[in-house]
Amino acid sequence: MEREFVCIICPNSCQLKVEYEGKTIKKIAGAQCSKGEAFVKNEITNPLRVFTGSVLIENGNFSLVSVKTPSPIPKKYLKKIGEITRRIKVNAPVKIGQIVASNLLDNNIDLIATRKIEKKKSLSF
Amino acid sequence: MPEKEVIIIGGGAAGLAAAVACQQKGIEDILIIERGNYLGGILNQCIHDGFGLEKFRTSLTGPEYAQRYIDQVMDKKIPFLLNSMVLNLTPQKEVMVVSRNGLQRYQAKVVILAMGCRERTRGAIGIPGTRPSGIFTAGVAQELINLKDYMVGEKIVILGSGDIGLIMARRLTLEGAEVITVAEKLPYSSGLPRNINQCLYDFDIPLLLSHTVVDIEGNGRLSGVTIAQLGKRGGIIPGSKRKIICDTLLLSVGLIPENELSREAGIVLDPITGGPQADERGQTSVSGIFACGNVLQVHDIVDNVSLEAEYIVEGVVEYLKGKLTKEREIKVELGNGLRYVVPQKLVSIKDTIFSFRVNRPGRKKTLIFEEDQRIIKKKYFLRVNPAEMLRVKLSSSELEEIKTLKVRLV
Repeated sequence: MEREFVCIICPNSCQLKVEYEGKTIKKIAGAQCSKGEAFVKNEITNPLRVFTGSVLIENGNFSLVSVKTPSPIPKKYLKKIGEITRRIKVNAPVKIGQIVASNLLDNNIDLIATRKIEKKKSLSF
Repeated sequence: MPEKEVIIIGGGAAGLAAAVACQQKGIEDILIIERGNYLGGILNQCIHDGFGLEKFRTSLTGPEYAQRYIDQVMDKKIPFLLNSMVLNLTPQKEVMVVSRNGLQRYQAKVVILAMGCRERTRGAIGIPGTRPSGIFTAGVAQELINLKDYMVGEKIVILGSGDIGLIMARRLTLEGAEVITVAEKLPYSSGLPRNINQCLYDFDIPLLLSHTVVDIEGNGRLSGVTIAQLGKRGGIIPGSKRKIICDTLLLSVGLIPENELSREAGIVLDPITGGPQADERGQTSVSGIFACGNVLQVHDIVDNVSLEAEYIVEGVVEYLKGKLTKEREIKVELGNGLRYVVPQKLVSIKDTIFSFRVNRPGRKKTLIFEEDQRIIKKKYFLRVNPAEMLRVKLSSSELEEIKTLKVRLV
């Protein structure tokens, strides 16, 4: 079958014309780089996305810390991971890259912090 | 009055990149003045990924991208002020700053404008109806959700398909809200195609092109909006009105470069970009005041902001050495198919990066640089989209002999 995909790997947003059967790509046109084919391969087998969101912070200089999955995860899990992030709370300080939750959904999905959070300074008068 | 070689107004993406570039070029006496209480500006609330693909060859989130620059500022001990707002800038480059410590004046040799932009609001687009709570610009909603832990609503309509609106459609969905639809006045989206796919289609959120919000209802809180389809000439198609019950309306209807300070300093602005008119060094109409990032022109991706900031710093260095002289003045004329061009004028002979936006989406287009009828350079694009900024570099040898310069898209 024939379908058009928009590659989401970079802002070029290449429009890919793809001819495929089942899980095999037969013809692909429109990709400006080799990442396009790998993207389509995933799209027709198991579409992958990076999850980004935020979780609550205790005693931090901000109330939230932004998080992401270190690598793309199956698209179907995005909403479930979103639900989970609303129940997680971590303690400050947090470093960029620090794991804030691991093995979510028993599927080896981790969340790492993407922002540095320091401990809240106690107020002095 | 304390003197500074370079004062940078704004500590966001443009200001940080400019500061780091100045330091790398050997300028020691730098001061970044930031209005907010942290560096990195709007990048901090852009927690989605996809930043840095050009600059760092890897996909970063906004806070991670900002941190790469903040680390360098800290490491090199580049001075910065937080919670400090510039109230006034004079053509003589006197900078008046207010903070908790009171008023302070500085005399700068060079000022780099890096104030970024702000969002167009409901008032700017004049939607009729009541004035309930629950109407937010997309960027404000982004700040509330991503930095302040305040969820803006449960049933959402988004007007405008700019990238921030698209990103927020996904973000709100992942936070458990229902995004009913995204309505776009134009027959095409003003966001990047990749964002339409990964933020809307991934979650089955419909994008209604040629649609707009024509009425707002609700007392106290928003209770619903009326949307209508627009015809080719922009008028409402009779019978197309329909009411959507929602508690929240997000507006993603454009960005305006924040140039109040520039105006006070007597800087000439471009009515189309909303930013200062600049030459190929990023120098504004006032000598020694340079501009980069979204205050100069609204960018599509942050990598281009960083690159632009680094590029204009070359001119700053020459200016400080007294080597930046005006050798000529050529106005860059804008032909068919293009909405704007930056720089607006050329004053020297230098390798120059031109930035453009096109008027409407198209395929198989050629950008032509010409002097009278003589073609100087052509560049072919398979696809053009108003959502994307085009950047083309011309070498000093290509620009050396010219007396006029016109660019157009065919």
